[in-house]
Amino acid sequence: MTFDLTLSGSDLLLLAPEIFLTIWLCVVLAVDFTFKRIDHENLAYLSVGGVIATLINLIWFDYTGVQGALFKDMFVLDGMAIFIKILVLISTALVLLASIDYVKSFKFFRGEYYFLVMMSALGMMFMASAQDLLSVFVTLEFSTFGFYVLVAYLREDQKSSEAGLKFFILGVFAAGLLAYGISLVYGETGTLVFSEMASTPGSIGLAIGFVMIFAALGFKIGAVPFHSWIPDTYQGAPTPVTAFLSIAPKVAALAILIRMFYIALATFKPMWALLFVVASIVSMTYGNIVAIAQKNIKRLLAYSGIAQIGNVMIGMAAGTKRGSDAILFYLLTYLFANLGAFAVVIGVSNLIKSDEIEDYNGLNRRSPFLAAAMLLFLLSLAGVPPLAGFIGKLYIFVAAIEQELYTLLIVGLINIVISMYYYLVVVKKMYINEPHDPTPLSVSTPLKTVIFVGIAGTLLLGIYPKPFIDWAVATTLMFSNIAAPTASDPAVLISLAGG
Amino acid sequence: MGQLALLATLFAPFLGSIVLLFIPNRQPFLVRVVAAASAGVSLLASLYVFLAYDPDKGGFQFITNWAWSEELGIGFHIGVDGIGAPLVFASAILLFAGIFISWHIKDRTKEFYIFLLILAAATIGVFMSLDLFFLYFFYEMSVLPMYVLLGVWGSHTKGYLSMTDEEGRKLRDSVGFILNFGSNSKEYAAMKLTLFLSAGAVFALMGILLIYHFSPVQTFDILVLREVAHFDGTLATIIWVLVFFGFASIAPIWPLHSWSPVGHAAAPAATSMLHAGVLMKLGHFSIIRVAYEILPDATRELMPIAAVLCVFSIIYGGFVAYFAKDTKYVIGYSSSSHMGYVFLGMAALDYISLTGAVIYMFAHALATGMLFAMAGWVYDQTHTRDIPSLGGLVKNMPFLAGAFIIACMASVGMPGTVNFIAEIMIIVGSWEKYPFQVVVAVLGIVLTMAYLFKMMRGLFYGQMSPEYAHARDTSHWVDRLPLLLMIGCSIFFGIFPMHFYNVVRSTVVPMLDRINQVAPLVTQNTTGLLP
Repeated sequence: MTFDLTLSGSDLLLLAPEIFLTIWLCVVLAVDFTFKRIDHENLAYLSVGGVIATLINLIWFDYTGVQGALFKDMFVLDGMAIFIKILVLISTALVLLASIDYVKSFKFFRGEYYFLVMMSALGMMFMASAQDLLSVFVTLEFSTFGFYVLVAYLREDQKSSEAGLKFFILGVFAAGLLAYGISLVYGETGTLVFSEMASTPGSIGLAIGFVMIFAALGFKIGAVPFHSWIPDTYQGAPTPVTAFLSIAPKVAALAILIRMFYIALATFKPMWALLFVVASIVSMTYGNIVAIAQKNIKRLLAYSGIAQIGNVMIGMAAGTKRGSDAILFYLLTYLFANLGAFAVVIGVSNLIKSDEIEDYNGLNRRSPFLAAAMLLFLLSLAGVPPLAGFIGKLYIFVAAIEQELYTLLIVGLINIVISMYYYLVVVKKMYINEPHDPTPLSVSTPLKTVIFVGIAGTLLLGIYPKPFIDWAVATTLMFSNIAAPTASDPAVLISLAGG
Repeated sequence: MGQLALLATLFAPFLGSIVLLFIPNRQPFLVRVVAAASAGVSLLASLYVFLAYDPDKGGFQFITNWAWSEELGIGFHIGVDGIGAPLVFASAILLFAGIFISWHIKDRTKEFYIFLLILAAATIGVFMSLDLFFLYFFYEMSVLPMYVLLGVWGSHTKGYLSMTDEEGRKLRDSVGFILNFGSNSKEYAAMKLTLFLSAGAVFALMGILLIYHFSPVQTFDILVLREVAHFDGTLATIIWVLVFFGFASIAPIWPLHSWSPVGHAAAPAATSMLHAGVLMKLGHFSIIRVAYEILPDATRELMPIAAVLCVFSIIYGGFVAYFAKDTKYVIGYSSSSHMGYVFLGMAALDYISLTGAVIYMFAHALATGMLFAMAGWVYDQTHTRDIPSLGGLVKNMPFLAGAFIIACMASVGMPGTVNFIAEIMIIVGSWEKYPFQVVVAVLGIVLTMAYLFKMMRGLFYGQMSPEYAHARDTSHWVDRLPLLLMIGCSIFFGIFPMHFYNVVRSTVVPMLDRINQVAPLVTQNTTGLLP
């Protein structure tokens, strides 16, 4: 195996967003160091500007259809990679904006904060393009390094340090699992590239290797039983970091999961589909039931996130093109609702310095805007029409029923009702209970922007999702030959329906 | 024009709620006027739709069909048939009346009207959806505003708990098998209602997904599915059971009713009106729309289940209403009881009885709307709904007492009101197939008379407690208009039911022809539909 590392101009073009972001984050760091007196708020806007420029670059790629692969398929830029990168960058831009007020409470290292957020984002952009186990390992660790620091950013807060330590130890453990799994797979197949593995015969070593890789990625997305770090880390980390952690790494890790299972393991679909069925049922049920008992809004959102990942894995369990379309669309809806909800949490905790659900009492009287926004986001997470989450859930369910995964579907539907309970408890606190302290709350402009973007996304995706569904469908065209749904065969159906 | 009117009926309340977002809460009058205007537009448009519906042509009219997502086979497909048109009209009447009934709400007026408008608009949306996706979309959308409306503007139900009679309590505990955990709070009622209805909805969604999956064309469009998707055997039974019990939980059929009276009692007056008046009809309507259209064979075989359960609904609801001491509980349980009549009319699968059932839905919406509106007024004046402690209010409220008598008469089904026509049609139409149920239904009417007159006597006659001496009548036109509107409609259609009858009949006949195997299942040219 030889590596040809010569790059032509057109190859560099494929890397343009990453190269640009790399330069930009160096610029942000340099500006921070050079101009000691610079207001960190301007640094934030500088960072957001860079992220948005990268975003525009990617949208232009998507529009013009720039695609290709580099380094022997280690780096792939296809529709799905672009989609995932756009999701990562949208969440990065929103998190950066939402951080501005929060960062004011940091005593030092304000500038580095933005640098670290962008560095993690850069790692996740590479994750979206990884189509080779080596690049999976490198990009995954690259993106996690930033988070190790960010989670423990509140040095004087015990909870934050605890969160950082927990995240770090378990993260390193997951990295070890990943490396071991990769070595096993390489030993069995003699290759690291997904597409070359597709033809390998199954063996026990291969199975163990992939289960280990699945465990490491399950740690990233927070699927049960690899979720144990999530609640404490979410609670202790600075809230904007929690917001970032709750969406971007999951999106990027799902890209790897989809690629790995759809390309490398397409022939073993019945086996891994079962794996995902079980993981999905356990995650949904566990996340939703434990969420009921939570008293802290960040922990509640953490457990709700575990349940949402369970929902996403229904799409993996379907294992079809439609399943991957549904996952991508679901992630888009989840991004707006989840980041929006966290933005409200940031807003409230900036003002009243508390994340307890009890302190959301009477939020509607104190800030009708925050309460209404939170209502929309929570209902979208619960999957209530006409909000985005409903369409996402329905799409996932349609993908599942095409594969006739009835058990999964029934569990998923029952879980909608369970989840509605704890979301409505928060709604009850905000709208029905009277506030302990009725002073009105005001929201700063950057945070308001984030919340408005969240509201716009949640409503638009719920009322007119057609272009986004079509986009998701177009991005996964490379999977169209994988396990075509049996249900689309009309002859079978007519005979089933007695026609 | 009709198409435009139908769209206006649906979107005027939505637009109204969007406009309300931009009006500050310190201008409550402007808020009310905007809400009333949007509801008024909706009412006029729905009246036009109802009158312009051509019974000679029949079928679905005023259709709008916009592709919404080809990938999933969803279209924004709306239109009304002879069943949808009157129900859309009823929803618009109750919304308009509800806006005026809640004119005196002071706490967070703007939010109240926003949620009320969304609730009503979503309900209207269900009645005109010709796409399973949008049917479910609007259905679920109408459930959630209820949570906030009940929780924030509702009232605790000390009363039911005011079934203090030993017999009443025993009756409730022995027959109601879904446990009521005895909480009287509005929060409990709101949560119970929302979770119950959402659970019902996901059952129905499962059925809808099965229909989608097993139909030869991947679409949610009801008009396509009714022609091409024919199910039989176990599959049809499973889908039918999911769809029927999923939607019947909101109707509410007997063992699934326990959320309903609690919810009625806790809700503010306008919400109770919409809830009892139209929200409950979503259940019957969706069963007709989904089960009767897409699963005609299963409906023919399994509808006797409804005929059995409706007996329990009628009797159980009637007896609990008789023993209840809280005005809203009486009306709430009377609604559950009366919904049994609709199920009876539907179960008989007879032209006359199904027509009667549809007219009954409309009639009941008006009658129960009036009763809830007036119970709400009495509560606002006296701050109690406990019937034994009230009495003699006729001295202070002559107008209201008169209107209340009319509403009771309408609810009982006195000739001259549209309820009479509906009841007599259900009874006559079902006699041949379900004579026992008809006997029960007639007894139910007697029971209705008993508990309504008991409540009327308890509220308005007898000795007045001096603490309620300050209670005053509806004197302003704002308060009288909604009552007069509902009374007027009830009596008008009671005396001139012909257009109404023709409209409903034009739809019921071909539908039952398919179910009763008089007409072939495929009634339209389906070439090009099947892949």
